[in-house]
Amino acid sequence: MQHLADVEVYSVRTLREALELLSSVKGLRVIAGGTDLIVQLKTGVVPKTNLLDVSRVDELRYVRFEDGILRIGALTTFMEIYRSELVRRHAPLLAEAAFTVGSFQIMNKGTIGGNIVNASPAADSLPPLYALNAELKIVGPRGERFVRIQDFYKGYKKLDLMADELVAEVRIRPPGEGYVGHFFKHGLRRGDAIAVVNGAVLLRLSPEGIVRDARVALGAVAPTVVRSPSSERVLVGSRLSPEVMWRAAEAVVNDISPIDDVRGSAAYRRELSVNYVFMTLYRIARETGVVA
Amino acid sequence: MARRAAVRTVQRRARGPVPQAKVPIRVKINGVEYSHEVEPRLLLVHYIRDVVGLTGTHIGCDTSNCGACTVLMKGTWGNEWRAVKSCTLYAVQADGAEIITIEGLAKNGELHPLQKAFWEHHALQCGYCTPGMILAALGFLKLNPNPTREEIRKGISGNLCRCTGYVNIVKAIEAAAKEIREKGSWI
Ligand SMILES: Cc1cc2nc3c(=O)[nH]c(=O)nc-3n(C[C@H](O)[C@H](O)[C@H](O)COP(=O)(O)OP(=O)(O)OC[C@H]3O[C@@H](n4cnc5c(N)ncnc54)[C@H](O)[C@@H]3O)c2cc1C
Ligand code: FES
Ligand code: FES
Repeated sequence: MQHLADVEVYSVRTLREALELLSSVKGLRVIAGGTDLIVQLKTGVVPKTNLLDVSRVDELRYVRFEDGILRIGALTTFMEIYRSELVRRHAPLLAEAAFTVGSFQIMNKGTIGGNIVNASPAADSLPPLYALNAELKIVGPRGERFVRIQDFYKGYKKLDLMADELVAEVRIRPPGEGYVGHFFKHGLRRGDAIAVVNGAVLLRLSPEGIVRDARVALGAVAPTVVRSPSSERVLVGSRLSPEVMWRAAEAVVNDISPIDDVRGSAAYRRELSVNYVFMTLYRIARETGVVA
Repeated sequence: MARRAAVRTVQRRARGPVPQAKVPIRVKINGVEYSHEVEPRLLLVHYIRDVVGLTGTHIGCDTSNCGACTVLMKGTWGNEWRAVKSCTLYAVQADGAEIITIEGLAKNGELHPLQKAFWEHHALQCGYCTPGMILAALGFLKLNPNPTREEIRKGISGNLCRCTGYVNIVKAIEAAAKEIREKGSWI
């Protein structure tokens, strides 16, 4: 355990104060819900630094739907996301994922911004955000900028984020009519189950059951969350038959590079990825009446 | 204006060698107001146990896994009662909050329905996990007063018990939920 008796915690109430301190004080690290960071500080996974507590910056806690875009403030907790009618209507994939982020105690305090910036390849909000082509609003002393979620991650825990910047908002343009999708997760114990494999599948189907658009995202099987273009290519233009679903599921192994770790071996993760993508496709096919 | 001055103070403090400046906080625990000057790095669970002296809230791990430290909190992150793990929260983050700990449940010598049900259904052995288990249960019964057994299991999945095997805990929570619904008051 790391000794933390000299860590300072500065609390602010507004975004302006937060940005001022981040740019004027060197080496401050943001703390929101603390569910990742306090544990990582104690165990020495991250270096000891002074902390900027933004958990009370209420202006970053909201779910809104404006100009056709779903906007989620970075400090919104997974409990709020799970319970939000707007999220359920416009991004049900994300509501499904929110319900699996640890126990209720973790959902009550863990924020979507913290989940994104902690950048675990197993983070549960990320496969839905990849499938939904979400965008992040990042604010800093140079103003605001927007980054697509895929471009935010440059490698394992390497982010397009400067030390004086904050993630302020997650933006999702609802994919539109005819899209159906689900989140999936294989964890070991529900209340503190970091995923062995997780993912999201989102399809647009024609009334005849032909796939018009396919988005398959997988977590915990590469240094960052990945989309599976190989699987998506098999799906688009085809009817969702069991044979197509198997081929699409098996194609995901082309796009993942899992490793062995305490939660599972690489081979196990490959097997799980294929099976879960198949089961999720099958579930969608059944729900839409494409297969009986 | 006061906030601007606060930012300047922080900037000054943060630039120099780190002084052990204390920060004033006010919280209401089980209906009683407390105000203290605390070190900013003090965890809420240590504040509750060591500063306020309410030792019913336990600490069972270093990794935010066991749930023994669970309390109910409202008024900081929204205005609803929510179960949180007080070991991954700084006391300064709870400034202005209302908190319920296990000591706040019995009223006038009468046990809370959850406490009574844990007793009657043998839902504890050593009792170490019990305060956290009861507050986690209370937190989700507030959101879902009539849960299925499966939902109860999800509700306590952030809490570990090394003694009971959970079956009696689930039965106790089911029984308490019924009593709470009949009484029409959860606390
Ligand atoms: C018992 C337990 C179970 C868990 N289960 C799951 C699970 O099932 N699935 C899952 O995905 N995660 C899980 N987690 C991990 C964690 O709860 C989530 O990742 C959570 O969303 C983190 O949010 P936070 O607000 O607590 O982040 P914090 O710990 O406060 O911060 C995490 C990181 O993000 C940075 N940060 C936070 N907010 C911002 C911002 N707005 N701008 C810039 N940087 C920021 C911090 O500097 C830090 O590096 C679990 C954790 C615990 C302790
Ligand atoms: S002490 Fe174990 S979760 Fe808080
Ligand atoms: S009763 Fe002993 S840990 Fe639960």
